[in-house]
Amino acid sequence: MSALMWKRFLLIRGAELATFATLAAIPLFVSSSYALGLLTLLAIYGILLIGLDVSVGYLGQVNLGQAAFLGLGAYAAGLSVSLLGWGLPAALVASALTGLIIGALLALPALRLEGPQFALATLSFGALTVTVLNEWEGLTGGAQGLQLDRPPLLGIRLDAPAFYWLCMLFLALVWMLMRNLLSSHWGRSFEALRDSPIATDAMGVGTYRHKVAAFAIGSALGSFAGGLYAFNFQYLQPHSFVYELMVILLLGVVLGGRKSLWGAFVGAALIVLLPNLLSNRMLFQVFSALGLLMAVLAGVRGLLNKTTRPFQALAPIVAMGSLVVGGLLVANTEDWRKAIFALMLFSVVVGLPEGLMGFVTPLLSRLLRMAPPALPAPAALDEVLATRQVHGELLLELRNLKRYFGGVKAVDDVSMCVCAGHIHGLIGPNGSGKSTAVNVISGLYAPSGGAMLLHGKALPQGSLYRAARAGIARTFQNLQLFGELSALDNVMVALKGVYRMPLPLLLLGFARREEKRAQAEALALLQLVGLTQQARARARDLTYGAQRFLEIARALACKPELLILDEPAAGLAQPDVAQLIEIIRRIHQRGITIILIEHHMDVVSELCNVVTVLDGGKIIAQGSAAEVKRHPQVIAAYLGVAPAEAEHAQP
Amino acid sequence: MLLVENLHAGYGASEVLAGVSLQVKQGSVVALIGANGAGKTTTMRSISGMLKPSQGRVLLDGQPVQGYTAARIARLGLAHAPEGRKVFGPLSVEDNLLLGAYGRLPAFFGFRSQAAQDLARIYELFPRLRERSQQAAGTLSGGEQQMLAIGRALMAKPKVMLLDEPSMGLAPVIVQEVFRIITRLKEAGITLLLVEQFARSALEVADYVYVMEHGKIAVEGLPSEMHKNQRVLQAYLG
Repeated sequence: MSALMWKRFLLIRGAELATFATLAAIPLFVSSSYALGLLTLLAIYGILLIGLDVSVGYLGQVNLGQAAFLGLGAYAAGLSVSLLGWGLPAALVASALTGLIIGALLALPALRLEGPQFALATLSFGALTVTVLNEWEGLTGGAQGLQLDRPPLLGIRLDAPAFYWLCMLFLALVWMLMRNLLSSHWGRSFEALRDSPIATDAMGVGTYRHKVAAFAIGSALGSFAGGLYAFNFQYLQPHSFVYELMVILLLGVVLGGRKSLWGAFVGAALIVLLPNLLSNRMLFQVFSALGLLMAVLAGVRGLLNKTTRPFQALAPIVAMGSLVVGGLLVANTEDWRKAIFALMLFSVVVGLPEGLMGFVTPLLSRLLRMAPPALPAPAALDEVLATRQVHGELLLELRNLKRYFGGVKAVDDVSMCVCAGHIHGLIGPNGSGKSTAVNVISGLYAPSGGAMLLHGKALPQGSLYRAARAGIARTFQNLQLFGELSALDNVMVALKGVYRMPLPLLLLGFARREEKRAQAEALALLQLVGLTQQARARARDLTYGAQRFLEIARALACKPELLILDEPAAGLAQPDVAQLIEIIRRIHQRGITIILIEHHMDVVSELCNVVTVLDGGKIIAQGSAAEVKRHPQVIAAYLGVAPAEAEHAQP
Repeated sequence: MLLVENLHAGYGASEVLAGVSLQVKQGSVVALIGANGAGKTTTMRSISGMLKPSQGRVLLDGQPVQGYTAARIARLGLAHAPEGRKVFGPLSVEDNLLLGAYGRLPAFFGFRSQAAQDLARIYELFPRLRERSQQAAGTLSGGEQQMLAIGRALMAKPKVMLLDEPSMGLAPVIVQEVFRIITRLKEAGITLLLVEQFARSALEVADYVYVMEHGKIAVEGLPSEMHKNQRVLQAYLG
């Protein structure tokens, strides 16, 4: 490891270690049971928010059910102690399992929904849970509440400091395990399916499976925190878990900063301090003044860097200013709590969309001159994409393939063969069924009739994921990159055959080597398309041409047998078209069979062994590029002018 | 008619345009060509106000418009047919076209009757759109959507029209159709700034050509001069 990397490692790990060591030492010096109670809650909410961040930050879904999971976990732990007489470890396991199972069950239908619908589904789940806890009086004691005792742990009675240490230990453990999980291919897949579920499936990473897993893990953490919550208060009431708590939790995640463990920690600290903030006038004024200062700083910085518009800078300043003024005018701040939450949430969403950590982290890394982690040297391309031996045998066969949309016959009785090692061109007018045909082959659509055979065996139908697993990779006509991820991460999400570490070992941090290996392989593929320099750039910041090439590199990461390129040259200018041809040549040399949809006739003529021409969903011609270009029907329907002129019209 | 001087613009901290100057004379067709990422689309976006230029001037018919909102510039007579068509998918073809005229015609009384004449003119130019006038724009083929985007821009009766990559993703026969339409627009006296990947075809219709490289104009001149320029020939005309 180089000196720079050591510095990075020591600073990041050092900060974590110092924080936890300080937190662990506090009970030795502070005897106030009130302060200790707050710190215990900090640990509990920390675990809860790390869980919530998985769905809000990584999956990008507004999850309004986490408060209910806190309640479910709390009651599960409470009932297993008071009703079943279980010990503390068993009760905590029970609470985590409750969240895991109910979370997975809720995710199965709810995650088919997107955006607002998902938020509403989780909101109704929250309402339902609280109602059940309230009305099932025989079990939960209803509104009367549930009294429970904190059972001893391994024969030791847990007093306040001991329980605090236990909670902090769990926070540190969760912190470590989740860091390992979220920085692995799991975390990348979670983010990928936020940006483009279709592409995630098409890369052979099961969207649905990952979504359900992410949500279940987040919920399990929520209800595990609930178990600790139950033993902390030793008295439970359904009323504690209503949606008002949910709003505060959401505020915590957004304010702290999404996709960040530190963000969850900061958010938890805010949630813990909020009640005191509201009851202590002095504290409230200090905090609102700090908030105003923060808003002014962030606004000025944003305006200077031209990253924010004046409205974005001004609105939080006005909101925070009204908090400061309000603090001086209002008699009792607690009566205004909802208005105060609203103003804070509004300022954060407008002024600091990345949250406090998203604001502070870049500043700190610049201040401390932290270099991003070094990348390994690219792997040898032969190890990543072994050259396949192909001899023009039959690879893919379509027999009477049909796909209808209502009365429209988009693909109507198409039969064709794609030979191994060929570049097979697919051309035709707009709306002739080319894209529909490859969408059926790659599993985006199920066929309405006919058969598809790969190596003589039936190809999975109607599932991008299973088609990808069968060895078919594709790019998209309208780019489907994972915009927020770096170019390197885009390729790493799709990388096949590297991630072997079982989940428990991965959680414990044993996947570092395979992670390095994945980076090296992904870099080799970026090198193939000439994007090594842009490895760290966010995909959506790349130029249009680079984005097209990145899609090809990502498709290659699936190590496919058949690669489908859907209009890779669309919108590319001449110099980039030349580079594209060169890239496709190099891929072809590795024995990968290619189906190429393209309107640039010179690209098609230069590369394709065979060209199939579609019109109105039917094949009108097939043969070499020169042959089809002379075909009268092709000229009439597609080329418009005779071949000699066509070459001229199409530079 | 359109004069751009020393235009600088970018996204966030990264500067894409580093001083672009060009002019489009009344009734002429000017082509802007260059590699991907050279800044052609960014130039178009900064002229039409979709992106705020950080420096430089844009004069539309002698009036400075840099820093105005896109809506205001459009009302002053600049129509932008953006890359990737961007038609309003769920709306009918006719409603898409009428939207193009909203900035120009009275909002309540007399809109329909005045717009009807303009619609007739557009349908004459694009008979296919008349056939499909009540169909949702999203269901049109790529070529028809491009016609619609051009038609919508024409409905504003613009002083200057920006046309960004009109041939993108279209079959050769449709590309030829698009260029025939551009030729007809030129004959009708429309002032046009054209960004195009098929540089050779663009040169055939253009009166004047600018070649962009790395956010600047690298070469400019008449199309006939471009054909003689070795560097342009090799890099852009293939």
